[in-house]
Amino acid sequence: MAVARKALLAGVGGALVLALAVLFFAWSGLYNVAASQPHWALTRWFLDFGLRRSVATHSASITPPKLDDKNLVILGAGHFDAGCAPCHGAPGGHSDPIVDRMLPAPPELNRAASNWSTEQLFWIVKHGLKFTGMPAWVAQQRDDEVWAVVAFLRALPQMSASQYRLFAIGDPEPRPNDGAEIARNGMTMEALTRCVRCHRGDARPRSALVPRLAGQSQAYVERALRDFASGSRLSGIMEPIAVALDAAAITALSAYYAGAPNPAPSAPPIESNADQIARGKDIATKGVAESGVPPCLVCHGDARAPSFPKLDGQYAPYIVGQIDLWKRGLRTKSGYGAIMGTIASRLTDEQARDVAAYFASVAAPTAQKLKPPIPPSRHGGRRAR
Amino acid sequence: MRDRQRFLRIARAASACLVLAGCEGVQSTLAPTGPQAQHIAQLFWVMVAGSGAIMLMVALLTAIALFAPARRRAFLAGDTVVLAGGLIFPVVTLSALLVYGLVMLGAGPGRMAASPVGIEVAGERWWWRVVYRDAGAAVESANELRIPLGRAVEIELSSDNVIHSFWAPRLAGKLDMIPGRKTVLTLSAETAGVSRGQCAEYCGGAHALMAFNVVAMPPNEYDEWRLREFQPAQEPTTQQTRAGKALFLSHGCGACHTIRGTPAAGRLGPDLTHLGGRISIGAAILATNEASIAQWIKHNQDIKPGNLMPAFDIFSESELLALSRYLASLR
Repeated sequence: MAVARKALLAGVGGALVLALAVLFFAWSGLYNVAASQPHWALTRWFLDFGLRRSVATHSASITPPKLDDKNLVILGAGHFDAGCAPCHGAPGGHSDPIVDRMLPAPPELNRAASNWSTEQLFWIVKHGLKFTGMPAWVAQQRDDEVWAVVAFLRALPQMSASQYRLFAIGDPEPRPNDGAEIARNGMTMEALTRCVRCHRGDARPRSALVPRLAGQSQAYVERALRDFASGSRLSGIMEPIAVALDAAAITALSAYYAGAPNPAPSAPPIESNADQIARGKDIATKGVAESGVPPCLVCHGDARAPSFPKLDGQYAPYIVGQIDLWKRGLRTKSGYGAIMGTIASRLTDEQARDVAAYFASVAAPTAQKLKPPIPPSRHGGRRAR
Repeated sequence: MRDRQRFLRIARAASACLVLAGCEGVQSTLAPTGPQAQHIAQLFWVMVAGSGAIMLMVALLTAIALFAPARRRAFLAGDTVVLAGGLIFPVVTLSALLVYGLVMLGAGPGRMAASPVGIEVAGERWWWRVVYRDAGAAVESANELRIPLGRAVEIELSSDNVIHSFWAPRLAGKLDMIPGRKTVLTLSAETAGVSRGQCAEYCGGAHALMAFNVVAMPPNEYDEWRLREFQPAQEPTTQQTRAGKALFLSHGCGACHTIRGTPAAGRLGPDLTHLGGRISIGAAILATNEASIAQWIKHNQDIKPGNLMPAFDIFSESELLALSRYLASLR
């Protein structure tokens, strides 16, 4: 009895001393947190082991959706180039000496698809990693966006540098080669706020998950950018971009897109057919009385106020995706969003697909030149900070 | 002592409130304004008087049985009393009451004028669609019935969603509105004025806020009103109301609402052609005026949670004023 008590006392005392010693060591500041000094092998192993186990455990219950969709890959590529490549690098790029001095150094992601499972990649992109500099996804509710990045990461290892450039940046444009211009504006190719990376200018976006902006009403584009900037419209992709735009830039940009000619209607999704488009047209023109769905065209037709978006020729997958966001209550924070949220919640998934196929099939009227298009401001697109 | 006085005062005030609410209100079945409701009220008072008398009698007999000396209460054990009080009396009373009740409730419609005024009322969630027909033309209103004094009014009740119940207590009894069926309620008013009705069958979220007004009007006023009601909406006359109309048409209001004489032809929500001429908006929830219309447009989900109209929190102050002023001007 007495022996057991002694052993217990010794144990407790020992633990206390150890804890105090650890606390003293931390207090003394002798441990070197300098990023200029690499970790000890043991520390590195321990941190790496803990990180891998944590990711594995936390991602265990995730079920990935279908990811081999070019639209997802291209959307993911566009965001990757702005949001991830600055630290992780990109095919054909060069490493950034500042980033190289981070500890841990952000891994090049060419091999990410093989190092981590799809579910684990999703979890890391969505939640970020403590003490590594890896941030969490800006809009935690937007799993659909995170999956786009994951789809891209899985496709990345097979991507050539030129293919990556096409997906992420678009058609090669002449880089500034005038010394004075570079001196003033830098290599603008990499600016976060390059809209054309995904939306393009007056051509159709490469990904059908990206809305076509050419010919859209100016008031609507302005409102969308303000909603993204204020966080009332959630998006891990658009929020950082909109926040970087000042009021003048938002006005100039929306004027540019309103004046840009709207190209030919986007092809309806492959599985859509004449029947589906006809059903969609019925909903758009007459509504669905029994479930309280008003006709779409009263707000989205030609007599609409400019603050309502035009949907003619818009990509069907984009429309379906947005209706889904409304149904999930993720786009209902703004006054306009609350209106559409009510209506979207009354649409069945099939009706949403029908109506999207209809709008995708409608030829947008050739750009009405209400105002002369204002050319994009050279400085408007620059990051303000 | 003081507590007791206060308690008494509160009790008196509370009972006074109850009495007032029960008898004086615009929605009281005890303040009938038409023969059908008078019959119901009369039936009620006869029942109250009769059952009161019977209760007194039973109490008296019970008291005799409990407290009277044995020889005084002996008669209660006699066969005659048991037979008369336990069998003959209930049979006679209840049969008489049944006949009286049937005659009462069956009365009215049969004796009404041969050419009743027809109104159709459809129960919606959560408002009343009111249709007036006239030689092929049909116009819609909402949440308000206008009826001429002294004439029989035949109200055809229907619903295409859930069961509602039409109840205007000062005019008639309740009648259910059953999907797939048409029911007909006949009533008439003898006193001019406004009385209030309410959905009397739980029909979902905003059921408690599904009310309506019945306005009984002298025949000449009614004819004038009816003439106006069949006209399309007034054109806005001021710059502000014209702006209001443009806002109405460009911001999607016409997807659900009709204003006759404009492109707005939606049928999901109430017809607004003569909104400004109605007493109330939101199914007899708010008095109609510019301010309440503006409130409704912007905050209807707070005023009447769960109603099927989304809140339109998208207008600037001046836009909202123009819009509500235009709607209020539609008399």
